[in-house]
Amino acid sequence: MTGTGQASAGGCGASAGGIRVTEGVGNQAVVQGHVTSAGSPVLTGYARLLNADGEFVAEVPLGEDGGVTFYAAPGSWTLRVLAPGGVRVERSVTADIGKITELEVAV
Amino acid sequence: MSRSDVLVDADWVQSHLGDDGLVLVEVDEDTSAYDKGHIKVAVKLDWKQDLQDKVRRDFVDRAGFESLLSARGISNDDTVILYGGNNNWFAAYAYWYFKLYGHHNVKLLDGGRKKWELDSRDLVTDVPHRAPTSYHATEQDQSIRAFRDEVVNAIGHLNLVDVRSPDEFAGRLLAPAHLPQEQAQRGGHVPTAKNVPWSKAAADDGTFKSDDELRALYGDQAGLDFSKDTIAYCRIGERSAHTWFVLHELLDQPNVKNYDGSWTEYGSLVGVPIEIGD
Repeated sequence: MTGTGQASAGGCGASAGGIRVTEGVGNQAVVQGHVTSAGSPVLTGYARLLNADGEFVAEVPLGEDGGVTFYAAPGSWTLRVLAPGGVRVERSVTADIGKITELEVAV
Repeated sequence: MSRSDVLVDADWVQSHLGDDGLVLVEVDEDTSAYDKGHIKVAVKLDWKQDLQDKVRRDFVDRAGFESLLSARGISNDDTVILYGGNNNWFAAYAYWYFKLYGHHNVKLLDGGRKKWELDSRDLVTDVPHRAPTSYHATEQDQSIRAFRDEVVNAIGHLNLVDVRSPDEFAGRLLAPAHLPQEQAQRGGHVPTAKNVPWSKAAADDGTFKSDDELRALYGDQAGLDFSKDTIAYCRIGERSAHTWFVLHELLDQPNVKNYDGSWTEYGSLVGVPIEIGD
């Protein structure tokens, strides 16, 4: 269903960019995006997912293509991007079961 | 113990790189981050390959820990500075693990790899060579490690702190949201556990909040009774090592244990009580 990524099934850590969805999305509620600056991927930075109450849920370092993937639950979420130079940008996003919600974030 | 005994900041590390008797160690589950770039002179520890037994679900034994640190060129007298990704989860786990095996001169780099990167500080790919040592560990200090029966017996008696996200606590998610939700065990939490997500103890840049903020978080806001012993858990014990560090090392609470079996063990046990919902 998903790519193998680099995070082991037994672990809890976040590999850079998260584990990309490479085949079907199955019953997951996926939030996936890319972070760019002036059209180029942002390579050093972090994306964190906050729930509807603004509480932290997960965080990944940005991937080599500035990409991020989260496996959320259905509902409203906020994606917060942190990057060097005090960059802090937020986007609202809605996740649904069986769907990949894509978003592009320019910082 | 004060904060300066257990934490150093990025400026301090920058100005002490290469000091004799100081060993910088990056700890991660995914060590490809180290391979792409790490703080100069840092050696690496792989949370899974180096710190977990290859067959049983347990730590490497005392002899294994001695071999590991000897091979990394770490001496009993060295000051070990740990840092890593994931807001220092695995570095905090390694900190607790070093304490478990009796290495007392160990500190965390506040904010870990994230703070270092967000500060745009230098990372290198050169791997330092350190001459092997003959490291001696002690037997495990079981006063800081909890096992499943202690957790069951603590229900309704001791402080139980579930440090996972609110959605994992409630049973809506079975793993952190950066991982696929395909775990086999039941969702929920240990009855009477308070949910204080680890993330509430840290700022966005991964640094720990002030002692006053932390004391208010666990005391007034979460309702922990500081006169009682405490067991912290998460899913596999590394986020709860972060909270163990806060309660035991920063706030100086005397009897705090990390339950490293955590939800992947508890949520798969037959016959134990589970609560779901917020």
